[in-house]
Amino acid sequence: MERRIPQFFFALSLIALALMLAAVWQAAAPEWKAYQQQFHRLEAVGEPNAAAKSEVLNASLVVRQDLLPGLQRVDRCTTCHLGVEDPTMKSALQPFTFHPNLTPHVPARFGCTVCHGGQGLATDRRNAHGEVAFWQEPLLPKEYIRASCGRCHKEGDVPGVPELTEGRRLFETQGCRGCHKLNGVGGSIGPDLTEEGAVRRSPNWLERHFLDPNTVSRKSPMPNFHFTKEQARALTFYMLSLTSEQMATYYSSVRLIPSAGYGRQLFVEKNCIVCHNIGGVGAKSGPDLLGVAKQHSAGWLDEQLVNPELVYPGSTMPAYDLETNARKAIIAFMDSATAEDAQSILSRRARPLTAQDAAIEAGKQSFARFGCVGCHGLQLQGGVPNPNSQGGEVPSLLHASDDYTKEEVIKIIRNGKAPPLENPAKPAPPLYMPSWKSVLADEDVNRIADYLWSLQKKKESW
Amino acid sequence: MSTDKGKSELVFLNVWLHIHPAKVKKENLRVRHTFYLGFITFYLFLILVTTGVALMFYYRPHPPQAYQDMKDLQFVVYLGSFLRNMHRWAAHGMVICVFLHMCRVFYTGSYKRPRQFNWVIGVVLFLLTLGLSFTGYLLPWDQLAFWAITVGTNIGSYAPLVGARIRELLLGGHSVGESALLRFYVLHVAVLPAVVTLLTMVHFWRVRKDGGLSRPVWKLKEETSTQLVTIGPPDAGVPLAVVPASKDKTYGLMEVVTGKPIFETVSMEEEEDTVFSYPYAFFREGVALLATVTTVMAVSLFWQAPLEELANPVKTPNPAKAPWYFLGLQELVSHSALLGGVIVPTLAVLALIAIPYIDPNPSRRPADRKWAIRAFTLFVVVNVVLIIVGTLFRGPGWAFVPPWAHIAGAE
Amino acid sequence: MKRRSFLNWGTAGLVALWSAVGVSLGAVVRFLTPSVFYEPPQTFKIGNPADFSFGPPTFLAEEKIFVFHDRVKGFAVASAVCTHLGCTVGYFQNDERFHCPCHGSVFAADGAVQHGPAPRPLEWFEVTLARDGQLRVDKDRAVPASYRLMV
Repeated sequence: MERRIPQFFFALSLIALALMLAAVWQAAAPEWKAYQQQFHRLEAVGEPNAAAKSEVLNASLVVRQDLLPGLQRVDRCTTCHLGVEDPTMKSALQPFTFHPNLTPHVPARFGCTVCHGGQGLATDRRNAHGEVAFWQEPLLPKEYIRASCGRCHKEGDVPGVPELTEGRRLFETQGCRGCHKLNGVGGSIGPDLTEEGAVRRSPNWLERHFLDPNTVSRKSPMPNFHFTKEQARALTFYMLSLTSEQMATYYSSVRLIPSAGYGRQLFVEKNCIVCHNIGGVGAKSGPDLLGVAKQHSAGWLDEQLVNPELVYPGSTMPAYDLETNARKAIIAFMDSATAEDAQSILSRRARPLTAQDAAIEAGKQSFARFGCVGCHGLQLQGGVPNPNSQGGEVPSLLHASDDYTKEEVIKIIRNGKAPPLENPAKPAPPLYMPSWKSVLADEDVNRIADYLWSLQKKKESW
Repeated sequence: MSTDKGKSELVFLNVWLHIHPAKVKKENLRVRHTFYLGFITFYLFLILVTTGVALMFYYRPHPPQAYQDMKDLQFVVYLGSFLRNMHRWAAHGMVICVFLHMCRVFYTGSYKRPRQFNWVIGVVLFLLTLGLSFTGYLLPWDQLAFWAITVGTNIGSYAPLVGARIRELLLGGHSVGESALLRFYVLHVAVLPAVVTLLTMVHFWRVRKDGGLSRPVWKLKEETSTQLVTIGPPDAGVPLAVVPASKDKTYGLMEVVTGKPIFETVSMEEEEDTVFSYPYAFFREGVALLATVTTVMAVSLFWQAPLEELANPVKTPNPAKAPWYFLGLQELVSHSALLGGVIVPTLAVLALIAIPYIDPNPSRRPADRKWAIRAFTLFVVVNVVLIIVGTLFRGPGWAFVPPWAHIAGAE
Repeated sequence: MKRRSFLNWGTAGLVALWSAVGVSLGAVVRFLTPSVFYEPPQTFKIGNPADFSFGPPTFLAEEKIFVFHDRVKGFAVASAVCTHLGCTVGYFQNDERFHCPCHGSVFAADGAVQHGPAPRPLEWFEVTLARDGQLRVDKDRAVPASYRLMV
């Protein structure tokens, strides 16, 4: 036995060393390195000279990842899919093939899995494509990838994905909400569909379900709607897009696809016509917008929309809080807007344009922007409780003209006002009208007063 | 190291080695005496500490980053999956080996006087090992982890009076969430390892104090239990104790000096049956260490530790099972929460702790302890059967489903 | 039992073990070296050449670089990080120099230190043309101040 012990010791030491080397070998030769080497060889073919070729062939092999904190994802797909942004790889075989139509959804900003599915954290093929147990989001089949557009672009038409629009339309018109809740609205007979795209990522199942519910969901009370194949596909697209994707501000702000049509919608919503004219049609206090997109760069126009004072100090144009893509949409509209557009917008107005409208619109914008609605209400109705003030609440401004003249109101806005006490013995009311003269210019205050006066309700006559 | 003096000095002058005696009894080195289970358990603990510290460099105890870090260890960190596997399999191994070690100590009667207290320390170490395994189980933050701990802490809450409070302290809330993960992490990497280390020190020290490893059971045949020896201070009239003669070495001198004599030193009769710790004991321990390490490494190269999908509090897997060493408990609970989940396990643990004090039989020979051995064997078998039932025979809804039955319609 | 044979096997075993320990140490260092970075990448694309105006450099705040586009000579990318203690320098068009607000270091248009406590000139990074036509900056590759990318 004694002879054996050191022999065992030696044998086991060798085995330990061997196992350690096996572990190191296993760690040193992961799948992705082979793919990267293959890609480098492919790239080297296209290099002009031997020095460039050798530089490419000896490039270091590293895991490549796109960190996407705004989408709460980490995508390592480009570790193997090295040719996605390389147009010379159009005819290369996967995983090196070029990805057409990437912009603006470049991997550095969007990653890959938010559209394609799969497991971004993984670095070997089976795991990365999600074809493993315990990963709920496998790669979407090719024909369904466009459904992912709806994960972010939740409103408006998505160019290139008519199925989404059709799916949304079918959902609302075929009465799905009668049994299914979506975003809190609907019946409880069927499952809540708010997260259907996150829960069920099998397009096959969804499509078969729409063609005949009972083939996949036995004893389901859902009736057979006899959808056509196209309709079933449209609805499948819609379902796949229903995830509650957590997105940071950047992504939310570019969600709406900037189109001239959307820009026109915003133009009407923000009442631009009350100051501006297009080709002479409209108001005259602001400049003519016809062809403005050709006279100034997109960047200049964008800046104008964000901060009019910067470009034109002293400008009466209010600063609107518009998202990046909303501004892009307006500029897109500017590019194509004509006098006819202005005419049609004018004719749809409830009241004809007056000279006052510009000032009133600016006043309305200031009223919203500086938080007056916080106490006085969106409809100027007041009503916010203010203990121990006379009346017990913040007053409505709809009858201000009965108790005050315009000059008095302007003075109150500039200097502020403490509300009169109901009971002088009790403590002062917590809410009061602050002084705005150091924040608002006199013209702004006047415009707010104009706005208020435009909404005054006359006291009923006795 | 070529002289006897050199070999002795190597041991007692070395900070790492001096817990060993300079010489050990040859018979204690036999594999079939202890199977080196104590050493193996300790080595597994060392593997766990080493791999655990390595993993700590890449793990954040906050959901959901914890799960992402598990994926990073699996896919991106160099040797990440290997180290994680080693940690997981060594953990399961340690639970099994500490249990087997307890069985060995029982079957060789090595808990009897003077080793009673060390047995108690051992039981506490066993419970701490389960605790370490349980707290570590939550850290991957996947469905397996989340629901196993949900079930486990709910079983614990059935304890009367203190159950709900203990659950609240463990979870830092009403249900398993961020606070639970952080608390379990602190317990797992700091508190429990520190306590285990301290108690292990006491455990090893007590082995020496109690006279080293017990004599192998097959050597006991040679003794007659009727031969008695009187012991006590040399000049006192009344002896302190009259005990069966034992060849076990004791260290009574220290106590005599302090005035509290317990045993007198008994002369060593088998001087020729002892060998120097270096090299005999050390090489054997080295072999045991290597065998442990290579086994854990080999298993880790080929079997992946599980990682299911991200923990989802609103989606309960059916069935939701506690970690395997608690499945026996969960099986009991499924029959009766209070009786099965609280009373029986508590009584079992108390009985375990009390064994050395309620066992009046001073003999360690198996022939003299038939009923003790039968009782303990029953305890082991019942535990194993319960765990097997809980693992293999319980399906959705905790229904009895043999593992060979096909579960139709499972989605 | 012969001691010599005992020791030979044992010694050989120890040699194997110590080799294993050596491998482990190397593996430990490699283990601790990060394979991926939870930071903005060192290599990134900044856009198409046509997006960058001539004259004063374009400052990219997130990436902390200045992009020079010379009509004749092409592109160059300078670091905006002061070599003294890491503050972000600013480029002033009127005197065509970089000024650091923290301790007053001043760098000439080619990055050379003209004034102040900065110990080294501003770094220039390699800028190349990616295959999709965009400019790609690699902060891991330093180039001399005279480096230009002709597009």
